[in-house]
Amino acid sequence: MTNKAARNLFIFGSLFFFVIFLGLTVDTMNQIDGRAPEITKDVDAGKMVWQKYDCIGCHTILGNGSYFAPDMTKIVEQKPAGYLKQFLMDPRGVNPKAAMPKLGISSQEADQLLAFLTWISKVDTNGWPPKPILAAAASVAGQPQSRGQQVYQSQGCSACHSIKGIGGTSGPDLTKVGANGKDAEWHVKHLKDPHSVNPKSAMPAYGGVPEADLKELAAYLVTLK
Amino acid sequence: MTVKYQSQKIAQYFYTFAIVLFLVQVLVGIIAAVQFINPDIFILNFNTIRTLHINALVVWLLAGLMGATYYVVPEESETEVWSLPLAKLQFWATVAAIGAVVLGYIWMGLDPQANKTVMGTQLLNEGREYIEAPRWADALIVVSVLLFLFNMFMTMLKTKKWTGIQGVLLGGLVFLALMYLPGMFYTKNMIKDQFWWWWVIHLWVEGSWEVIAGALLAFMLMKTIGAKREVLEKWMYIEVGFVLFTGILGTGHHYYFIGTPSYWKWVGGIFSSLEPVPLLLMVWDAFRTTREARNVTNKAGLFYTVAHAIFNFVGAGLWGIIHTLPQVNQWTHGTQITTAHGHLAFYGAYVLLVISMIYVTMPAIRGVTTYNQSRAYLAFWWMTISMVFIVLTITGAGMVQVYMERLMGLDYEAVKTVYNMWFWIIRAIFGVGFLIGTAIFVYDFFKIGKEPAPALAPAEQKA
Ligand code: HEC
Ligand code: HEC
Ligand code: HEM
Ligand code: HEM
Ligand SMILES: [Fe+2]
Repeated sequence: MTNKAARNLFIFGSLFFFVIFLGLTVDTMNQIDGRAPEITKDVDAGKMVWQKYDCIGCHTILGNGSYFAPDMTKIVEQKPAGYLKQFLMDPRGVNPKAAMPKLGISSQEADQLLAFLTWISKVDTNGWPPKPILAAAASVAGQPQSRGQQVYQSQGCSACHSIKGIGGTSGPDLTKVGANGKDAEWHVKHLKDPHSVNPKSAMPAYGGVPEADLKELAAYLVTLK
Repeated sequence: MTVKYQSQKIAQYFYTFAIVLFLVQVLVGIIAAVQFINPDIFILNFNTIRTLHINALVVWLLAGLMGATYYVVPEESETEVWSLPLAKLQFWATVAAIGAVVLGYIWMGLDPQANKTVMGTQLLNEGREYIEAPRWADALIVVSVLLFLFNMFMTMLKTKKWTGIQGVLLGGLVFLALMYLPGMFYTKNMIKDQFWWWWVIHLWVEGSWEVIAGALLAFMLMKTIGAKREVLEKWMYIEVGFVLFTGILGTGHHYYFIGTPSYWKWVGGIFSSLEPVPLLLMVWDAFRTTREARNVTNKAGLFYTVAHAIFNFVGAGLWGIIHTLPQVNQWTHGTQITTAHGHLAFYGAYVLLVISMIYVTMPAIRGVTTYNQSRAYLAFWWMTISMVFIVLTITGAGMVQVYMERLMGLDYEAVKTVYNMWFWIIRAIFGVGFLIGTAIFVYDFFKIGKEPAPALAPAEQKA
């Protein structure tokens, strides 16, 4: 091959691939709006707040960004809105061990962020993030469970709490919660309405869960020592 | 040996600026690494430190490439730079703009509320990774790059010696400038935002920059070995051609899971898997040419050039291909595996490229034929061994993260603060090793040609 032929191959070949790329880009642009809900004023404002505080400097969203903090794509499916709002405005007021600093997010900004994060959670991401495939295997292999343990699992307490290293870090570790002197009655009260025992609590209320289940749950909690 | 055209010495301004930012980048990198262990160690939060780390990186690499271009174009065109005052103006304007941007980041880091929204865009920090620079700074950067490109084109027009090397170099730079534009407008839709964002990021590092690297590789092999231009340029065209044939559609490997249609899994998977091919070709090219080498005086320059080709392939090619197929990427997307790849790829492809260009061109700029090369090797081994271990450490952290968080469903924070803690500690330690290497290199840069050089063997004196 002569140098000139090589050069022409480079130039025209690259143009060829770029044109295909442009074609796919046009098609993608036409499809994107149909792959997510409508963008309301609040969603747009929330995106601006997201950029204002440089959330991407610590977090990923749709899997892109920084790897210092959890991905935000599905966060509203994992945690209730009331809790998230309180956390955004004052992370360490909710969880003294939080690594996220208090950024000065106002109540209105927090609402807008939540609108944006709710929108993001509904984007059709071709199934990402996938469900953890080993989690199912682990629970099948687990011990037969008490009624209280089953309620703990079905109510999703482990999204925020961990027991023996399994679970989330948003709320206190419950591995030894039974040793702190609080009885089952206190726990039922706390579960029904966390504010009644801790006015600043960010934990969601479980008043809608049948009383009997809450009692079983409380009975399980006091055994954790 | 000295430069043929006095104006080539302007390269040194850009190199110096690049090197200062390199030092800053590594220093803040270590702070970021320590914040994984203790988030409150420093007055600025992690996001600000990380922004400084990656922006310093991108800017110093660009400054280095600009310096290199100011050296290469006069050499290839066989004439002085069209306007030296314009080049100096462009340099100082760039330094001032970057300085202002950095102060803005720090201000916003100290007081997030200072990042006000003015006319629909943020004043100090746009909050988009890598292109955090606010809109007004984007405009200044574009002006600076246009002045630079204009000066280079006018230089080429003076003699109209269209060599392949400078044609590809300038073509790559124009492509680079164009690909900055898709990051300069606001989109309400986060999917579109990220779609265009990847045009900037991906089409830079796996498109235009890699084209520039191909041209500079040919230039450096020609200068250090005296290899034949004809052959070098032919392979250069083939290499950069393959870079773009695979790299343009390879952008699809970022469009699997961000809300874009699923056909990108096919397009991105197939084309990005082929991206390592041209990088391997460059390694082969470097070895093939080096075998012809006789009487190489600038051994350190050649050494870095070959190392650049190898680590470009390892960091971008190998560490890229491991997570580029959609079936793998769905588990590794946005984990520490990405960080590991990001480090080795940037280090191998572009950090070593700019340092190679510095070692290849500085002796002539300082007007010496030979120089004390021992520190160049020392710096290389400190930096490279530390970087390899940083990358292995973070690859380990990534594997633990993928297994425990993504496959088993453990909590992100729990994996980060408990199971990966030792990896963070080891990374920080090797970060200090990297800083030592950087310091040796910076010191050496200021010393090249300014101290007595070892005597030359008679054969080398003639060359
Ligand atoms: C300096 C880094 C940093 C910045 C900036 C940051 N975050 Fe966080 N964020 C974290 C970390 C780390 C966590 C993990 C929980 C913890 O330890 O605080 C977190 C947790 C969260 C959570 C989940 C809390 C939970 O219990 O699951 C949300 C929601 C969140 N951040 C939203 C945001 C938003 C929105 C922004 C921008 C306004 C933002 N973060 C900016 C570091 C940061
Ligand atoms: C959205 C996060 C979240 C969820 C879900 C959640 N909690 Fe909590 N929990 C918290 C927070 C935050 C606290 C600390 C404030 C407080 O004491 O109310 C807390 C506190 C507690 C405490 C008191 C711990 C102590 O040491 O004082 C217990 C017990 C508890 N939660 C149990 C549960 C149970 C059982 C469930 C499931 C039914 C649950 N939590 C669901 C966030 C959560
Ligand atoms: C010199 C060339 C390259 C450089 C400098 C580079 C750098 C990077 C960086 C910094 C990221 C992270 C971006 C972010 O912040 O989200 C990234 C992501 C990625 N790179 Fe590269 N890269 C290069 C070449 C390649 C090649 C050749 C491949 C494939 C063969 C590749 C595959 C990927 C993939 C799949 C991701 C996405 C990771 C994820 O899903 O989180 N890269 N690259
Ligand atoms: C020349 C050498 C270096 C290069 C080219 C480099 C490059 C990068 C890049 C491209 C990123 C963004 C990664 C991504 O988005 O995937 C990054 C992040 C980071 N770098 Fe570096 N870096 C270098 C040196 C260092 C050193 C010496 C340290 C300290 C040990 C360090 C620590 C970090 C940390 C902690 C992050 C944040 C990663 C995360 O978000 O998880 N870097 N660096
Ligand atoms: Fe890419």
